[in-house]
Amino acid sequence: LTDPKVLLEGAVGKRFLLLGNEAIARGALEAGVGVVTTYPGTPSSEIADSISAIAQEAGLYMEYSTNEIVALETAAGAALCGVRALSPMKHVGLNVAADAFMTLAYVGVRGGFTIVTADDPNCYSSQNEQDNRLFAFFANVPCFEPSSPQEAKEMVPYSMEVSEKLGLPCLLRTTTRVSHTRGPVVFGPLKRPKLKGEFVKDVKRFVMVPAHARVQHKVLLEKMKTAKRISEESPFNKTFRGGSKVGIISSSVAYNYAVEATRLLNVDAGVLKLGMTFPIPEKKIADFIKAHDLIVVVEELEPYLEMQVKGIAKDRAPDTEIHGKTTTEHFPRFGELSTRLVVEGLAEILGKAVPVDFKGIDRKYAEVSELIPPRPPILCPGCPHRASFYVIRTVAKNRAVYTSDIGCYALGIQPPLKVGDVLICMGASVGTACGISKVIGKDVVAVVGDSTFFHASIPALISAVYNNHGFTLVILDNSTTAMTGFQPHPGTGKTGMRTPAKRLLVEDIARACGVEYVRVVDPLNIKEAMKILREAMKRGGTSVLVFRQPCALLALREKRRKGEKIIPCKITEECTNCQVCVKAFGCPALYIEDDRVFVNEVLCTGCMVCAIICPYDAIEAGA
Amino acid sequence: LSKCDVVLAGVGGQGVLLAAQILGSAALKEGFNVRVSELHGMAQRGGAMVCHVRIGENVHAPTFAEGMADVIVGLEPLEALRNIRFASSQTLVLLSTEAIVPSIVSVGSFSYPSWEDIVKRIRSFTEHIVSVDATDLARKAGNVITQNTVMLGALAATHRLPMRLETIKSATRELAPPKYMDINVRALELGYDALESLISERSE
Repeated sequence: LTDPKVLLEGAVGKRFLLLGNEAIARGALEAGVGVVTTYPGTPSSEIADSISAIAQEAGLYMEYSTNEIVALETAAGAALCGVRALSPMKHVGLNVAADAFMTLAYVGVRGGFTIVTADDPNCYSSQNEQDNRLFAFFANVPCFEPSSPQEAKEMVPYSMEVSEKLGLPCLLRTTTRVSHTRGPVVFGPLKRPKLKGEFVKDVKRFVMVPAHARVQHKVLLEKMKTAKRISEESPFNKTFRGGSKVGIISSSVAYNYAVEATRLLNVDAGVLKLGMTFPIPEKKIADFIKAHDLIVVVEELEPYLEMQVKGIAKDRAPDTEIHGKTTTEHFPRFGELSTRLVVEGLAEILGKAVPVDFKGIDRKYAEVSELIPPRPPILCPGCPHRASFYVIRTVAKNRAVYTSDIGCYALGIQPPLKVGDVLICMGASVGTACGISKVIGKDVVAVVGDSTFFHASIPALISAVYNNHGFTLVILDNSTTAMTGFQPHPGTGKTGMRTPAKRLLVEDIARACGVEYVRVVDPLNIKEAMKILREAMKRGGTSVLVFRQPCALLALREKRRKGEKIIPCKITEECTNCQVCVKAFGCPALYIEDDRVFVNEVLCTGCMVCAIICPYDAIEAGA
Repeated sequence: LSKCDVVLAGVGGQGVLLAAQILGSAALKEGFNVRVSELHGMAQRGGAMVCHVRIGENVHAPTFAEGMADVIVGLEPLEALRNIRFASSQTLVLLSTEAIVPSIVSVGSFSYPSWEDIVKRIRSFTEHIVSVDATDLARKAGNVITQNTVMLGALAATHRLPMRLETIKSATRELAPPKYMDINVRALELGYDALESLISERSE
């Protein structure tokens, strides 16, 4: 990543190579944002992480909240008092925050408030690929879609201004390919963050009892009229003139594919690039449709623009052909777009030949790909989760049902450990365990990480105890939010401002939820952990085990910092080549060559769990 | 230069992201427009890793289409092959020779193809293949983890990039962890020299 100091100290007017997310962080500094709240989630994490690293120097407040709704509410609180606020989250995070989001639109804000939703077409790091532009439509909240890091930066102060003009929160919607693309970004001047606000009471506006909410809904719809005028005039809704035959309407990263596709196909098309996509500029779109014989809407995921464009055309240009992904299926409604997919779709619509023999490449590649073993992401060497899963798998066997959750430990579904039969969303390990255990009469083991436990599992655990559901919840406590980049959470004793905080222990919370059987175990102590898991499962009712051992990546970093030597394990002559260490434990630091087990000394962290599980005591610490 | 499209392929943990950032930053230093696509989170953790680096005035998209790469740099042979669909018959494939066997091969029923097989399949796309013993050169530079910068040095020597080695060096100095900065610069030079002598041998 870019040194976050660059974001604060980089010279105005100079170009820097930034990730879309880093550009948004810079945008927050240029917008004078005073409060940043988040819960980390790929592909959004680097926005708040960059800000956390420089928050003290920048003079703004940043926090990792326990989950996205708390983050949104906290930021909204500041914005109600006139302080500019930013809440980055991943797309599914907005589901968690949706209750507050939907009604905040009725209440509105005083200081600018931009919620960044980082969507993930193709599910690179997510459980679904929902299109959150529909959330803007749903809530009546203005939506901005950058297509490059430069635009991502510019849209932060711009959306803040729109937010203040309308008194509404705004949605800044990126995708993985915007958030995680580096491009040149020109720095503008910084704005001093305003941290002090004032709460001016206005019960009818801020207290959403039914009588007030009915009125505020109408107020919101009135605000949308102004928002439409802003959209018509927005510099982010731009027309690029071309031939009068073909007109392309596009937004976000899809715009880039469309531009390159027209060049490859040698098509002279007009392009309407939409950066403010809720509300859409109806008049501008109508004029654009009328100026062309045929319209192609190029967008990722849902036909969000297409449906609205068709609505406009029906009234104002009913004879114009409109192509996209609904009535004519030229582009997929799933996954991400690419220059290739747009070239193929456009070629089909315009009856042109595809300039590159993609089909030929596919045929040739199909022959090659048979040869290529997959390389899925895996638990790191020395990862304590591997030991935890080995313990769970050995004790609960295949007959138990494993409900899992969102985090590194989702990788536990891979063979040979295969712990994970259900995985839906943050916190669902506990909720689904309640229902499954109620109806199957077999063992259920729920697995959740520490950060995810704080995030969304606590109400479910209380419900489990109160309704007497019989399962064992194993909290894999590695003392960080590992998958998203080691952000602090309430169990770590650190804040987003990099200051110490009261550390909350998951076992204390489990006990406070009413769980009677709560034990803390080190999963690397395999035998003890197995004994306790057996005991917990035999007991009935809701039981909680905390498997506590720090993330191997952090532990290694700490050891290196202290100058401690990392001693890899070695295989001794006692080895009978049973290969249990590889076939049942699956540590990537152990591998088989010529049918013998070897240790990769670069990868091995010396956790020595393999030595414990070796039935022949044939693994020991190396020299 | 109208454009230069590079695939950097490897395994999560090999430093593909750093290599891509160095390339992109060097391009920007010389005043080029650039896009670097990255993958984070679940996409890493020892999994297959790929970055597209795109340099050129008319570059908009973060990625490019199949058959459009100018160079494919494989920090690991299998990962070069996994991305070979981006090659045309004109594409240069730079290949680090050391295999990293996916753990799924040890556990499951897959096998890792032989070096000869990998090269043969790459050849079905392009004849322009150059292999580099990046592990050996990285070790000579002072640390085996500098394979990524060795490969960048080799890439600079192919003359398919619009940037000079000096600019890539200065980007490396800025972006490599301070502790490993000198080793990384040495690794760049070793990669550059190794490829340059290979090229002059071939032309003789």
